[in-house]
Amino acid sequence: MKLRSFRMRIALLSVLLAGSALVGFSIASWLLIYETKLARLDSEIKNQLLQKAVRPYWATNWQSYERSLPSIFGATQQNSVTLLVTKIEGQTLYQSVNWPSALDLSSLLLPQSQLPSQLFPPPPEQRRPPELEPPLPPLGMGRPPEEEPRFPPEQPLEEPSINLNELGKLVKIATKSSNRSNWRVGGIITPNFRMAIAVSFADIDGEMSAIRTIFLIFVPMVLILVAIGAWALSGSALQPIHEVTLTIRRVTAKGLDKRISTGETDVEFAELIDVFNQMMGRLERSFKQASRFSGDAAHELKTPLAILQGELERTLQRAKPGSELQQGLSEMLEEVSRLGSIIRKLLLLSLADAGQMRLHRVEVDLSQVLADLVEDIEMLAPHLEVKTQIISGLKALGDRDLLIQVLQNMISNAIKYNLPSGWIKIHAFYIGNTVSITVTNSSHDIQASHKERIFERFHRGDAAHNRQIEGIGLGLSLSRELARAHGGDLKLDPSSSGQTAFTLVLPKGI
Amino acid sequence: MAKAMHVLYVEDEAKIANFVCAGLKEHGFVVDYCDNGNDGYLRAMENDYDVVVLDIMLPGKDGLSILKSLRRAGRNLPVVLLTARNELDDRLEGLNLGADDYLAKPFFVEELVARMHAVVRRISGDRQNLLSVGQLKLDRITREVTCDRQLVELTTREFNLLEYLMRSPGRVFTRTQILEHVWGYDFNPNTNMVDVCIQRLRKKIERVGGSDNIESVRGVGYCFRKPESGT
Repeated sequence: MKLRSFRMRIALLSVLLAGSALVGFSIASWLLIYETKLARLDSEIKNQLLQKAVRPYWATNWQSYERSLPSIFGATQQNSVTLLVTKIEGQTLYQSVNWPSALDLSSLLLPQSQLPSQLFPPPPEQRRPPELEPPLPPLGMGRPPEEEPRFPPEQPLEEPSINLNELGKLVKIATKSSNRSNWRVGGIITPNFRMAIAVSFADIDGEMSAIRTIFLIFVPMVLILVAIGAWALSGSALQPIHEVTLTIRRVTAKGLDKRISTGETDVEFAELIDVFNQMMGRLERSFKQASRFSGDAAHELKTPLAILQGELERTLQRAKPGSELQQGLSEMLEEVSRLGSIIRKLLLLSLADAGQMRLHRVEVDLSQVLADLVEDIEMLAPHLEVKTQIISGLKALGDRDLLIQVLQNMISNAIKYNLPSGWIKIHAFYIGNTVSITVTNSSHDIQASHKERIFERFHRGDAAHNRQIEGIGLGLSLSRELARAHGGDLKLDPSSSGQTAFTLVLPKGI
Repeated sequence: MAKAMHVLYVEDEAKIANFVCAGLKEHGFVVDYCDNGNDGYLRAMENDYDVVVLDIMLPGKDGLSILKSLRRAGRNLPVVLLTARNELDDRLEGLNLGADDYLAKPFFVEELVARMHAVVRRISGDRQNLLSVGQLKLDRITREVTCDRQLVELTTREFNLLEYLMRSPGRVFTRTQILEHVWGYDFNPNTNMVDVCIQRLRKKIERVGGSDNIESVRGVGYCFRKPESGT
């Protein structure tokens, strides 16, 4: 489904773009931090291993060394760093209490044969009496030995020049898992002993999950901010369009001669306004032409008609009263009158089409107008039963002559299309801010096809009626245009069978 | 008989002016006719007319401009506009500019006369409020009709019809013409309404013992009989 709101689309798109960028950035930086931490850990492990590897194993108090390990690695838990030292023959020299026994170290500790022995100091046997070898801690225990090992005197051992780079290659580091926990294990093998340090991932995992939590809170918050910002931004971006729309609405309501000024508008919208103004210009020209045409046509048609009517009337007055000549002239006058009426209606319709119907609005007392029309029904069709419900003082704001024309049309239709001994009902009252006048009459049912076309110009009712009922078929369409020009409407009511009802709605008077 | 009214009639269409002038004269107006706007304006400024009838489309100064200039110069004499153009526009503009009434072409001279009398009465007060032919007396202000001092109760339509006929005794009115004036109907073939109304009027007058003086003209319409000479 396509979102109809351009503003909404812009906001969503911004959130989407910013969101994917943020999420990508977060994931990348998370991974980077992880990698960095791991690398630091690895280098520390390596560093520790190398430090110990270049010293003879008996020169180190493994137990105190193990106790110092957590602080070296910055671990928060005592048991997250463990140590294993074994003699090359397999005898365990030291093993931390919590050494994860399930760890498989085979891949970490190279076979001895591959050791480049020249890297290491000479074998300890040559330099140190074996009795000085410190007592071994009991297997699997981290307890200190009863006796402090006697360290060699502080005389510096002649440190052999050891190529640490070469030695570093002997250190193997890998991630191993045992019993649901992961360990980063580094191992080294020297000619005399093997040594492995395992650091639990618990600390790194803890830190990483803290960072993840921060991201999970931070990213949505930023996204919300972006959404708000994008909404506001797109709103302000669309503001000129909104203003142009308002102006155009004012312009079209006021008339075609109005133009929008481009003075204050942004460059992007100035072109739109220019185009709109040009369009209005063309419309105005063509409407003016149409309007002038109908004005000119009216003049050209009405002038000869006025002469015809005037001369006919003058001749009629001179003719012998009741003579055939006078009767003939009277007939002609009637036709001239009919012609005049058609021309007038057509011109009104063309004005309505051009939206140029200018009304002389006054307050019209519709109750009075309707009372006069009811009097007419009694004279015109005394056989019809007339029922009225007209509230007194019913007033509408409108063009008196034109409103009377509409009401006359409604009522004369109600008479024309009535049944031989039928009835007419007139209801007139206020509904809210409008005046509603309904004229209902008994009638034959109107066919559905006629109902749709009843307001069409020159449309006449049932073909069968055409010859019996006078009229030109402009009344209803003109009446509706007149009602609409007043801001009201004229509608055929969906009435029950055996009757026809039209309702005129007009704005209420002051 | 009241003093004859002086009319300035400005119209460029000679054929229309021809029968309008004739009709107005028949009704006792003194007509000053002029066929262009500039002359029309000068005459309206220089002379005192009881009423001015202006066509809107004129060579020179058009009807609306003449009206505007007259009003700007403080001349408040009654003005009736005639137009053959876009009726709604002209009427709106004309009435806004201070025209007293407005008539669309084609029109009957009778109608023009009726309008002229109406605006003159409205402007200058009570002149010609009373119409009196034979026994019948009609008061336009109180809208009362008496026949031999007896009140005849009439509806709006009946009163307007009687007034229209009484204004020009001896003149023949076609049904359509009556319908247009009294009912304000644009052309409507239901002219038998006029017959019904005339019958009612006659009955009401006869009921108070008067004679109505309304004559039917066969196949044409109606005519208010001229009072016997001497009355």
